[in-house]
Amino acid sequence: MSDSDDMKTSIFGKFQKLAERVDTLRVSGRLPFGLQMDEMLSQTRARIGNREVLLAGTNNYLGLTFDTDVMEAAKAAIDAQGTATTGSRLANGSYAAHLDLEERLKEYFEVPSAIVCTTGYQANLAAISALAGRGDHLLLDADSHACIYDAARLSDADTIRFRHNSPADLDKRLSRLPKEGGRLVVIEGLYSMFGDVAPVAEFVEVAHAHGAMLFVDEAHSVGCYGERGRGVAQAQGVADKVDFISGTFSKSFASIGGFCVSRHVELELIRMVSRPYLFTASGSPSNVAAAQAALVKIAGEPQLGQALWDRVHQLYDGLTEAGFEPISPAAPIIAIPRPDEQVAVAEWNRLMDAGVYVNLAVPPATPQSKSLLRLSVSAAHSEADIDEVLAGFRSLLEDGAPAPSMAASGS
Amino acid sequence: MQANNQAIFDKVCAILKTHAEADTEITPDTQIAADLAIDSVEMFDLVMEIEEVYDISFPIEEASAIDTVQSLIEAIERITDV
Ligand SMILES: Cc1ncc(COP(=O)(O)O)c(C=O)c1O
Repeated sequence: MSDSDDMKTSIFGKFQKLAERVDTLRVSGRLPFGLQMDEMLSQTRARIGNREVLLAGTNNYLGLTFDTDVMEAAKAAIDAQGTATTGSRLANGSYAAHLDLEERLKEYFEVPSAIVCTTGYQANLAAISALAGRGDHLLLDADSHACIYDAARLSDADTIRFRHNSPADLDKRLSRLPKEGGRLVVIEGLYSMFGDVAPVAEFVEVAHAHGAMLFVDEAHSVGCYGERGRGVAQAQGVADKVDFISGTFSKSFASIGGFCVSRHVELELIRMVSRPYLFTASGSPSNVAAAQAALVKIAGEPQLGQALWDRVHQLYDGLTEAGFEPISPAAPIIAIPRPDEQVAVAEWNRLMDAGVYVNLAVPPATPQSKSLLRLSVSAAHSEADIDEVLAGFRSLLEDGAPAPSMAASGS
Repeated sequence: MQANNQAIFDKVCAILKTHAEADTEITPDTQIAADLAIDSVEMFDLVMEIEEVYDISFPIEEASAIDTVQSLIEAIERITDV
């Protein structure tokens, strides 16, 4: 059979609605999806087409992607170990550097167990899907990141959701569970879209009271919160009670990769069974070396975190003074809700015209079907950079744009 | 409809009416999202409310498979039965 219409419709037909939605958005201006960064000029500047833009949506919280030490470590690793491992951690892909990084993570988090995976996405898939098996109960915060939901799909456990950031709702749901089976509760430290922080200490208490273990994804919070950047659990004084912490090297660590650490040495057992750990090649030498060099900086250079938070407060205060209403209190992620997708796309385009790149976030990538302009702050931003972002946002208020108060009430 | 079924139907209808556009007639075949103009956010709240009333938690797959009023009733029955 050649390319018959039936054949094409049977496979591509399901994307028709999506294609129409993208066409509608195209009318509002240039499309934000799959945007091309033609050239990275620094941690905070890129050339897109013939325009230089200031980047205010990168997750490069500590600005380490162009750090000399981190870059040198990555280059040296390529010279010494080559460009790739071409094998999984269980076969030929565990190099001394992977094991060494695991040792450094154990020291940093003061735990007996650490597993390095190829991405943060896979770290969550690997740990959650293996820890919660058949007959177990997996309880997810309703606003969980896609990879946590995907981990649940890969797991054989029964999965239920509880209300976002509500230990009370979790408490109720744990009470309803049958006695049999293990219980694993999954939350995030700092939520990636709304920039809100979980009450980890309360969650620990509720989970443990019901014999459940607590898993905290600190993808966005390691490097930004807690003493020596060890995350939200540490900042709330419960790092030694949380059962599992996962994270990524793709944000503050200026690399690619992910990890899961635990105060339970038994975490090591999942290396033998976890498919997203077993059936994928390990992180490349340069990625692992960059992550390790970044870890040294995160743990040893508190001025990075200080610079980040100075800029966070400057941006947050400037936005609220201008009348914008971020969803959450000041954090390295600042989310401004817009009344609908069209307005968000149009404003995103106006910001691009003003030379400011932020993230456009629309359903289904956002919780509660909100359309957002999402900003993330970097320690590498200068005071003048943040002024430039603020000028871009103020220009949205000048003409044609809805008043921020109205925008914030949108659902 | 059996008595137990009818009791669930009545209760579910009462809850649905607080989420739906005014005065839409509700039958077991009613499509919750399409016919009652309930979007995904409201659907989430609705499911949470029903969980509260029946003191249950729907497994994720169960919750996302709910489309008609009948399917909602059946999901409640399945979980309250065990
Ligand atoms: C909360 C959360 N967990 C995990 C990940 C996955 O990290 P990675 O980019 O390393 O796959 C992300 C980022 O995309 C995230 O936001």
